[in-house]
This record gives sequence, structure tokens and C-alpha cells, in this order.
Amino acid sequence: MNGQISALALSTFRETVRDRIFYLVAVFGFVMLASTAVLSPLNVGAQGKIMADVGLAAMVIFGLVVAVFVGSAMVRKEMDKGTIVTILSKPVGRRQYIFGKFLGLNLTLVSMLTVMAALFLLMLLMAPGSFSFRFLSAFYLSFLELMVINAIVIFFSTCVSPILAAVFTLGAFAVGHLSESIRDFGQMQGTAFQQQMSEIVYYLIPNLEVFNVRAAVVHGDPVTMNHILMATLYSVAWTALLLLLAGAVFNKKELRG
Amino acid sequence: MSFQTVATNKPEIQSSPATGNAVAASATVTSGSISALPEGVTGDALTVVDLCKSFRSGFLKRRIRGIEGVSFTVPRGSVFALLGHNGAGKTTTINCILDLVHADRGEVRIMGQEHKRCESRACVGYLPERPYFFEHLTGQELLEFYAALLSLPKDIRVARITDVLQRTGMTEYAGRRLSKFSKGMLQRIGLAQTLLGDPDVLILDEPMSGLDPMGRREVRELLLELKNQGKTIILSSHIVPDVELLADSVGILCNGHLVETRNLREFNDSCSYLVQVACGGGQLDGLHLPPWVQAKMQPGSAQQQCVETDNVDQLRELLAACHAADIPVQSVDTRRTGLEDFFMAVHADSDNGANNNSKVVS
Repeated sequence: MNGQISALALSTFRETVRDRIFYLVAVFGFVMLASTAVLSPLNVGAQGKIMADVGLAAMVIFGLVVAVFVGSAMVRKEMDKGTIVTILSKPVGRRQYIFGKFLGLNLTLVSMLTVMAALFLLMLLMAPGSFSFRFLSAFYLSFLELMVINAIVIFFSTCVSPILAAVFTLGAFAVGHLSESIRDFGQMQGTAFQQQMSEIVYYLIPNLEVFNVRAAVVHGDPVTMNHILMATLYSVAWTALLLLLAGAVFNKKELRG
Repeated sequence: MSFQTVATNKPEIQSSPATGNAVAASATVTSGSISALPEGVTGDALTVVDLCKSFRSGFLKRRIRGIEGVSFTVPRGSVFALLGHNGAGKTTTINCILDLVHADRGEVRIMGQEHKRCESRACVGYLPERPYFFEHLTGQELLEFYAALLSLPKDIRVARITDVLQRTGMTEYAGRRLSKFSKGMLQRIGLAQTLLGDPDVLILDEPMSGLDPMGRREVRELLLELKNQGKTIILSSHIVPDVELLADSVGILCNGHLVETRNLREFNDSCSYLVQVACGGGQLDGLHLPPWVQAKMQPGSAQQQCVETDNVDQLRELLAACHAADIPVQSVDTRRTGLEDFFMAVHADSDNGANNNSKVVS
């Protein structure tokens, strides 16, 4: 069973690595990071902070682009082209297939984040006094955020067309970062109905701000171990729930050979 | 034909009369020896009982019948062909067997195991009608991927991949990316992945579709080899000669109904042949030939004459008479086959019925 999941994951990873879109986005990511090194001298004295802030944000954005680009069409493409039927005619369960695809895309995101993080740290080394190991917690939380986004896009890709899956995932990303604000705004300003709705939105969409520690890290504030642990549990719970739902939807799919 | 000799050592399939349901037909094992099997495992490689599948289509989501009441049994080691026109329900039947589409009703057992259990597919090799694989992989990588899905132990994986590449004639292209493969090469690599797990049951959907004559011949020879190894093969096709050459029994699908299942040996005796003999029509008159020969004689020349026989018995009789009269026989050609006639007749009957039985069911 594990061998089958890892085979699916490695195949997905290999596919994304050989995909030109992935290279294109990766190049853009690196260009973005490099540009922070060029722009930061404009703000004398805060070069390190600008580089760190832009760099960390760019890592999440480019991770998001890769997840949405690749993940939204991943399952549907295989269904439309028919590659999936030869896989599922082997002793491979549909949930295993979804989990394998998820792991493969996660592996891609981890690889991409690792390369970008290495480049990011290299650039910080060039700005005196900016380098710190606290950035590692920001990298880790960025990875957790991308893992949840990956699960969201996989879930939508089993339900709707690739375009809608991409739109819904980007929407979930935006609302996920605003959900606390939406809830607070609803509680303060709205009617009882609006308060309830804002509460529903808050609990229905993963709160992605949990993973946003960029400001704290950049300004040297500590990120507690407790926060990291809770964020880990939060992301694992959301990922598991989304993958279970994706598996349930995919189990009912009709596949044509 | 070669399947005759093989079939004699295998369980026989005989059609049973339609039971209540006018459109359902079934094939059952009537004789043949099956070795002792583990408990719970039947002697049949595949059992399909009352399989039904409909699809929703259009704005109003009207239900369109795919297949209805399809029942058949394939004994181990035999070759069963699903024959039918395009859209008859062959691929839908196969998709239901493999649980790629969920049947509305019915039961399927593969080597005695319920088909919804993914373990039941461990002994199945499947080739879809239009095989399409990951284009970013090479042939070798693709087979390694499928070997991992089949949980083949690493020590035998390499040997098995080498073997199937060799058997499908793909060894020299193994390092090439699949995006550079021709249609015939994709079909071959598809066959290679089908054979990778050394499956007991092969399910092949139009295995010779899109192949050039050489490719068709090679695939046919490979399938005959697998048949001789005792593999159970279920194939779908709308090409009658391919079915005749490979199959032991045939199920004819028309408009989603399995209208007939027959043992192919039944049709062998009803082939018609064209016999060309080296003598003029007048010369034949004086000989002691069977009385039906005159009626079956076709316009010929002063040197040669053609006679069409309706079956093997007539052929045998004519050849014996020619031999006795010392008339040289120049050639004997198969004019038409029994299965083809039968298929056309069944198809015509079914079409008449189908006019009163629309595919839209709700």
C-alpha cells in the first residue's frame, strides 16, 4: 500500500518537475527574490527587513501559484486523458490515488520552498545583521500553509473543472487570510444574521493567518513553540478533513476507459 | 484455426436459453476440468450477473441506458470476446467490471473476488481502447511506475520489465519519452503494462484498434501465445475476423443488451468456401459430383471453374469428388464465416427490436 502511494507521489513529483510551467514559475520566484536585493537599498537602514518581508511573501505567493496551476488540473487532466484508468485498474484504491497525488504535489512544494529558502538565506547573509535562524519557523509555517492550500486545490479538483478549482482555491486563499477580519467586522458592525454568517465563514474556511508570522519574524518578535505546534495540528486537521472529503467525492466519480 | 486445438483442452462454454428476461443471455460452464481451488474461489475467472448501467445526459439529465441485464461467465483459461457495433456497450461493460464506472445493479466477481475490492484487480491486466500514459515518462520509467503500483518485489521487477519489453517489441524504444511514441508504440507499451504483473485475467478493450496490419498481426500472435499459456482473456472488438481467430466464445452486444453468447466452434462448420478447380464447366458435367454442385457453380472460363460450398461438409464432399475424378484443385478460399453471418443476423434482429425500445429510459 505504502509503495503504491509513494509510486504515485514520485510520479506526480517527476511530472511537475518536468513541467515547463513549474520551471517558469520557479524562475519568476527567484527573480522576485533577487529583485528585493536590488530594491532594498532604496530604504536606507531597513534593507534586511524589506528583503525578508518581500522574500517570505514571494515564497508563499509562488508556492500558491504552483499549487493552483498544477493541482487544479492534476486529477481532471488524468481523467480526461484516460491515464487514470490504467492506474485504477491496478490494485490501487481511489483514496490512495488522491493521497498519492497530494503527497507528490507536496513534495514539489517542499522542494521549491527549500530552494527558495536557501536562496533567501543566501541573500540575507549579504545584508549585514539580517540573518537569523528565526526565519526557519517562517519557512516551516509557509510550508504548512501551502500544504493546506494543496489539500484545498485537490479537493476542488475532484469536484469542479480546473478553472473553477483554481478560482475557488484563490478565493479560499484570500478569504482564509481575511477570515479573522471578516469575523471581527461581523461581530462589531453587523446584525445577528451577519454575525452568524461571519462566524460560519470563519469556521468554514481555514484561517491562513495562523501561518503568517512574517511580520513577527522580520521585526524580531519571537514565534513561540506553542504557536508552531498549534499551527501544525491545525494544518494537519484541515488537510486530513479536505483529503477525506476529496476521497469521498472521487469515490463516486465515473471514469471512462 | 488455431483456437480450435487449444479449446479442446479447456472448459466448454455453451449458451443457455434466455431466462425470463428476453434480452439477457448467459454462458455457463458445462464441462471441463478445473483443478482444486482454494475455498471461496470458483472455477470461473469472471462472473458477471445482471449488470446494468445508465448515464445521465443533456440539460434535463435524462437517463440513457448503457447496458442492461448483461450476464456471462468466463471460465479460467478461455478467451471470451465481446462483439458489438460502436456504442453497443462493450466498453461500458468492461468499465463496470473494473469498477471504473459504478454499475446501477448487478454482481461481478473476478477470480472469485468481489470486483469492488481493489485486491481483486491484482490478478487483472487491463488495456483501454485508447491507451494514454504519462507523456513525461520514458517507456522504462512508465513500466517501473506500474511495477510499483503492482507491488512487484524489486528483485523481480527488472527481469519482468525486460521480459515484457521484449515480448512487445519495445526494448529499443524503452528509453524514449512517451510523448514521442506513435499510436502503435503506445498500444504496445500499453500491452507491456498489461502483462507486467503476469496477470491471470487480461481485459483488452479493442486491443488492435489503430494498429497497422503488421502491428495487428504481432498483437494477434502475442494474444495467441498468451492464450496458449492458459491466460484468461476478455476482449472487446467489432472486428469479426480478429474475434474468430482468438476467441473460444463470443458474446454479442446490441444496444446495451447481451443478446447472444455462443461457443465459436459452432460457427466453424458453417463457413462458406470458394473452391477453384482446373477444368471447364462442361467437363464437370460428366463426372460423379454431388447434385448440389451444379447449383453452386459460378461462371468460369474454359480452363477453370469456381464452386461455392455452404459448409465444411460440402467442402469435404467436393474435394473428395475432385480427388476421385483427378481434377486439380487450384485454391480454397474462405468466402464468409458463420460468425459474421450470425452477427449480422443478430444485429438486424436487435435493430428491429431497438426501434421499439429506445435507449432513453427516463
